[in-house]
Amino acid sequence: MKQQAWPFVVCVLALVLMPAVASTYWMHIAIVVLLNITYAVALFSVLRMGYLSLGHAGFIALGAYTCVVLTVRLHISPWWGILGAGLVSGAMAWGLGAMTMRLRGIYFSLAIFAFGEIVVAFFRAFDWFGGPSGIANVPRPKFFGHALNDHFSFYWLVLCLSLFFMALLYRLQFTRYGATLLTLKTEASERLAQSVGIDAARLKTATFALSCAVVGTMGAVHAQYLMFINPQVFTFLTSTDLLIYAMVGGITQFWGPVIGAGLLTLLGEQLFSVGYWKTLVYALVLMVVILSLPGGLMSLIDRIRDRWLNKPGG
Amino acid sequence: MSLTLLMQGLAIGLVNGALYILTALGLTLIYGILHIVNFAHGEVFMLGAMLVYVVYVLWEWPLLAALPAIAAVAAMVGWLVERGIFRRLRGQWLQLLVATVGVSLIIQSLSWIVFGAQEKNVPSILPGVLVAWGIRMPYERLAAAGIAMCMVAALYAVVYKTRSGLAMRAIEEDEETARMLGIDTDKVAGLAVALGFALAAMGGVFVAPIYSINPGMGLEAILMSFIIIIIGGLGNITGTLVAGLFIGVVQSMGALLLGAESAHVLVFVVMIAVLIFRPQGLMGKL
Repeated sequence: MKQQAWPFVVCVLALVLMPAVASTYWMHIAIVVLLNITYAVALFSVLRMGYLSLGHAGFIALGAYTCVVLTVRLHISPWWGILGAGLVSGAMAWGLGAMTMRLRGIYFSLAIFAFGEIVVAFFRAFDWFGGPSGIANVPRPKFFGHALNDHFSFYWLVLCLSLFFMALLYRLQFTRYGATLLTLKTEASERLAQSVGIDAARLKTATFALSCAVVGTMGAVHAQYLMFINPQVFTFLTSTDLLIYAMVGGITQFWGPVIGAGLLTLLGEQLFSVGYWKTLVYALVLMVVILSLPGGLMSLIDRIRDRWLNKPGG
Repeated sequence: MSLTLLMQGLAIGLVNGALYILTALGLTLIYGILHIVNFAHGEVFMLGAMLVYVVYVLWEWPLLAALPAIAAVAAMVGWLVERGIFRRLRGQWLQLLVATVGVSLIIQSLSWIVFGAQEKNVPSILPGVLVAWGIRMPYERLAAAGIAMCMVAALYAVVYKTRSGLAMRAIEEDEETARMLGIDTDKVAGLAVALGFALAAMGGVFVAPIYSINPGMGLEAILMSFIIIIIGGLGNITGTLVAGLFIGVVQSMGALLLGAESAHVLVFVVMIAVLIFRPQGLMGKL
């Protein structure tokens, strides 16, 4: 079925017009939702080729810390901090991916999980990186001399970056590179792809690095939004949240993670003030979806749309 | 850095390693059957520690009744999880792995809600410290490591000497052929998961008097277990044993020389080195 453009246009218009009507609280919600959607879509680009990253939060944390250290400790402009965050996260992911993506997927998942935990232990170990209490007073970027100090102006930064990254990851699916990635999903088809000269390990590594560069960049923006960073901000539970967004939304289509992240973040921000109740509800939703709705919410939407369009006798 | 201190670090490392092995072995066992790494393992370990607190400290059961009861509860949970969840996702490794993550999140968040965030302590069961050649080692740790090693030996016996163990190894080798030869793969999978869960819970029980307990301890345990099975080679029991002792020593030496947080980083670096130079693990085959 052909994708229709109008829901997408409506969404973007709503996002652009939002600051005109929304309260500060809703701007906060919008920023968190946009960040989570971008993380989830970046994770999806790795899931799409059949790899499960259980430590994406480690790369978010790496980006966030890179930016904070560059701006607070080395007094470099926040803009360079954002850029540096993406580069460092991407480079680290390239290195780890090159080592683990030659092996079966399970090695990748375990190694990246370990990385996610260790990154945080690393920053906690050194006082220069803030130690257990982290670093506060993270400066936000200035736009032509205008500091992005309130939710409304910072929203534009988040919106621009997340739309850019989502457009990038979306478009990449339809390039030759994106089509090739799909062939790497199973072992048999990967061997076939390699036999016609596709450098599978390198493609997968590049995709993983791109995904981590995206979450690293957004992590830097996230830290600027919070204006502090500490080892408890991006933990294993962040990684699993992203995974749950993607799986609940459905990982067969690009819009699955978008819908999953959007709905669950809205739900989570509204309903739960205590972290572990949120975790419990998310995990239960995840199990229900995995066991009884393999395509995620997206497949449900498709099913409803199909029934609506093809009424019996109509 | 005196020799005695070095010996001390080595001794603590070996004892800790023995306890890591107990948890990591269950993972190896389940991996052999399901070809999946059970993420919920660390939470079962935590549950074991929590249950020993509830049963032994709060309800004041005798230890000899508490241990089998906890093992039975953990085995039951494992059997139910295999029945209700893992079995329905066989062959879809990504969904299966995510499901084990889901189970781990459910156990963990329920534990935060039920047991609370406050650190709990199980009083020392075997007080006293052994002093030999200048090395000090609490009897309790020594006993825990000893019992852990006995359980590992028992597991070896189950896997290599019994018919169920033979069936497990057959499934690991080639599941389809095993089924054709009349092995009830579902039953064996249930057994392996139940056994693995019981082992993990026992691991938690033995560390309970040594460390303080909270619902977050499972994550630390699963991290060490994962690093151990990567280094030892996935699905390889002997590799898990060797890697467990090795990582125990690396971590205690690292903690002695560099501090506890840096020891974590050191262990991770060792894992990366193994992935680069010997990706199949110390004992594994690719």
